[in-house]
Order: sequence, then structure tokens, then C-alpha cells
Amino acid sequence: MIRFDQVTKTFEHEGGKLTAVDQVNLEIKKGEIFGVIGFSGAGKSTLIRLVNQLERPTSGRVLINDQDLSALSTRELRGIRRNIGMIFQHFNLLETKTVYHNVAFPLLLAGTPKNEVKEKVEEILDFVGLKDRAKHYPDQLSGGQKQRVGIARALATSPSILLCDEATSALDPETTKSILKLLRKVRDEYNITILMITHEMNVIKKICDRVAVMEDGSVIEQDTIFNLFSNPQHPTTQKFVQSVMNDEIPASILSEVESRHIYRVTFNEGTAGKPILSSVAKKFDVDVNVLYGQITELQHIPFGNLVVEFQGNQEEILKAVNDIQQAVRIQEVKVDAS
Amino acid sequence: MQVNLLEFWPKILEATNETLVMVFIALVLACLIGIPLGIALVVTRDQGLMENRPVFNTLNIIINFFRSVPFIILLVAILPITRFIVGTSIGTAAAVVPLVFFSGPYIARLVENSLLEVNKGVVEAAEAMGASTWQIIYRVLLPEALSSIVLNITIATIGLVGASAMAGFVGGGGLGDLAITYGYQRFETDVMIVTVILLVILVQIVQTLGNYLSKKLRRL
Repeated sequence: MIRFDQVTKTFEHEGGKLTAVDQVNLEIKKGEIFGVIGFSGAGKSTLIRLVNQLERPTSGRVLINDQDLSALSTRELRGIRRNIGMIFQHFNLLETKTVYHNVAFPLLLAGTPKNEVKEKVEEILDFVGLKDRAKHYPDQLSGGQKQRVGIARALATSPSILLCDEATSALDPETTKSILKLLRKVRDEYNITILMITHEMNVIKKICDRVAVMEDGSVIEQDTIFNLFSNPQHPTTQKFVQSVMNDEIPASILSEVESRHIYRVTFNEGTAGKPILSSVAKKFDVDVNVLYGQITELQHIPFGNLVVEFQGNQEEILKAVNDIQQAVRIQEVKVDAS
Repeated sequence: MQVNLLEFWPKILEATNETLVMVFIALVLACLIGIPLGIALVVTRDQGLMENRPVFNTLNIIINFFRSVPFIILLVAILPITRFIVGTSIGTAAAVVPLVFFSGPYIARLVENSLLEVNKGVVEAAEAMGASTWQIIYRVLLPEALSSIVLNITIATIGLVGASAMAGFVGGGGLGDLAITYGYQRFETDVMIVTVILLVILVQIVQTLGNYLSKKLRRL
């Protein structure tokens, strides 16, 4: 659907060059919700703007349905852009126009006949749940409602791709949840491919199918949500994962722990229901003390993360750990003695 | 004194009419020149929709040139141009020419400022929707800035009323001319007071009208 092929974007400014996107390769499949996460300055904003060519690549190719966008004329590009909706962090609505006319705006640009416009706008306003707000102006709406108008406007031309540029970053957590739910509905009902950039791991965890992590213009890691959250490789990725799945052992608990045999056990599909820890305790001469635990769902797959302490002699503990390793992932946790 | 004023009443009416005509015609022409120039300044500047440094720099210098010459000097300096355009260098029509040269560039600057206030994100959104440059100008920039443009043109109009008072210098007539020739040079204080009051009322009306229109245009 969307393919980045060795894409680089360099900005030249007084005193030097800035490589915002550095030889990125990505492939986003049809109907997928693909997330790109990174700290500010990682190049995500530039990356998403390469898809609708608000930024032209310095080198490499961006392809949509195998069509190379950099080969297109300005006029052809305008046609392609109607097939790509975009929503923004600060909504970017026309302040002087009503909700109705904001949503109708892309259709007006495309020269759609008036009766068709009315039908389409009413259908979409109903879809985003703002039918009764059609005559309101943006300054009369809440942030969440404004983003719903943004989504409605992006969908007006029936695009097959939706780009979300930090779409929930200006919203509170409750509103974020409802907007993400709406985006999922957009994908499920219209089968629209969604590419979203964000710095919030929560957003990625809630709705994405796959995710790429960006740093200094490069994609440093990409995988399915489940794999990335359960086994993050790069330190930056680990930082992001920790931001939503806090697995640091609280200091108050640590102070009570006598031994230093602390391990992290990661459960996933098929193992979350098994009594692995208690069977190990029966099989070997060890006691298991759960220090910290969390079970969450990633893409509808239960995912558990337990930090446990083994009590007993060294040999028995090693045997127990080896036994657990047969079934699930287990890693020793280095504890800072201070 | 009372009789004196009655005698002057028709003259005051005539002068008011001259001021209104001068200001109105100059304003329309100055807008016709200033608004496109203001748009050109915005689209040709760095990062603009049609970035073009030579065009921007040229316009910028020309506008600054006219903005830096005081009106009373401009009035005299462009007399040959005035004569070329309207065929005469005295009278109301001759006063309109320098007024246009004076306020056209001013309006260009004011319109430029109004357009620059438009949220860049909205322009980007329109680009992402596949809008052409022309569509962005007349469907996004102008409507979104209209309320602010009207307020700024109100300022320019009041500036024109002030400048038109100096039009007496080329025999352009108007309230300012009346105040100077009768009120100041002939010590007819009553005439002076009446013309000043009329000018104050005129400015109040223009500003009130501008405020009202601007508020209406915030929602199209």
C-alpha cells in the first residue's frame, strides 16, 4: 500500500544540513494501523509528510500502490492527495466556517456537485457523531469534537489512506481514548489504511497493529505490537515500552527483599493461563515470591509481566529457572543495591 | 458669528462632500492596488506558496519607498505623474492620485500582516487536501483573514481622511482645506470648530462601521 524505499530527506539551512529522514525503508499494508513513534526531532513529522508529498524526498522513493510519487506532476499529485486524508495535532480547521462547511471543504476543492456534497457530509458527520453540531463554528467545540471534525473532513473524499499527525497529543486521556476508538472504527468500516505518528506509547499500544520506532531520522526497530512490547531490542524502544508498562520494582518492596535472586518472567499467548510458578515451587526446593506484576492485552493477546524473587539455595534456583525457560521467557533482573 | 456660520453652511456641505468623494475613490483604487500587492508579498516571501525572492524584494523596496515619503511631500513630488494620469494637477481628481499612491502601499502592508496571521496549519491542511495555490489564496487565506483585513482597511481609511485634509494644497478642497483657509488663515474659529467636529464624527462612523463589519466577517 505505502512503501518507503531508501527514503532520505535533507533540509538545508544557513550553517548546515539536517537529515530529518535517513534511508528509511518501510512497508505499510492495506487496512493496517501502522504507528511510528519517536521523541520530538526524530523525523516522524517529516516522514508522514513524505506520504502525501508535502515534503519531497531528497533521495529514494515513496510508493503508493506501486506508484512512485516523486515522478508525478503537481496536478497529478493533487489527485493523489484526495486519496490521502490527513488529521493534525491542532486540528487545523477553518475558523470562519461551520462544521458542515469544514467537512464539505475538500469536496468543494474537488468540484463535487452540491447535492452529492450534502449527502456525503451528512453521512460522515453522522459517522463521527457530530450530526447535531453541523451549524456550529470550531470555536464553539471542544478539542475532541474538533478532532472529530478533522476526521470527518479527512474522510470526505473517501480516501484509502489516513495520515494522523500527533492526532491525540493535544487531547486529554479520556478524549484520546474516544478518538482512538473512532479511528479504529474508520479502519474497520471503511478499510482505510492508517499511518499515525505519535510520541505517546499508550496510543500505539491501544490501536496499532505494527509499529516502527524512529530516532535521529532512522527507523531503529519495527515489529508487531506484541513482539515489540514483549521483547524490545533497542534502548530507546525499551524506554518507550517502559513508559506504558512500568516494570520497575518499587523501592519499598526492594528494601524488604533479602536475597538477590530476582527475575522477570514474561508470559504470552498460551502460557498466561498456566500455573508455571507454582509448579516450579513444587518441583524444586524453592519458594517463589511475586514482587510486581502486570497483565495487559496487546492486540487482544494477553501479555503478562511478573517480577519474582526466588528463595532457596543457588543450585535449586538455577534448576527452577532452567525449567521455567522451557515454557516462557525469563531474565535475571539486575538490582541496584542502593 | 452666528450669521457668519449660516453663510458658510453650503460651503461646509460642499467640503464634506468633497472629502467623502476623495476618500471613497482613493480608498477603492488603493484597495485595488494594495490587496493584490499584499497577497503577492505573502505568496512570494520565503516559504511562501510561490516563493520568489526577486519579486518579493522588488515589491518590498517599492512599497517601503512610498511608505517612507511624508504625504505632503509625496503630493508635490508626484505632480508630473498626477498630471499625466488625470490631465491636471489641481482639483479633487488631482488630489486622488497622490492619495492612492500614499495609501495603496500602506494597504498592501496591512493586508500582508493580516494574511500572515492565518494559521499555517490550515494552509497545510488545504495543501494536503489537494488544493491548488489559487484555491488556497481565495478559499483559505482571504476568507480566514477577511475580518482582520477589514479592521486594517478601516485604519487605512481613517489615515486617508487625515491625508485628504492636506489635499487643499493642490486645490482638492474638502473639510481640511476649509478648516485651513477659513478657520486658520482668516481666523473664522466657528468654521474651524464645525469642520473638526465633522471630521471627528466621520472617523467615528468609519471605525464603528469597520468594527461591525469585521465582527460579522469572523463567521462566513
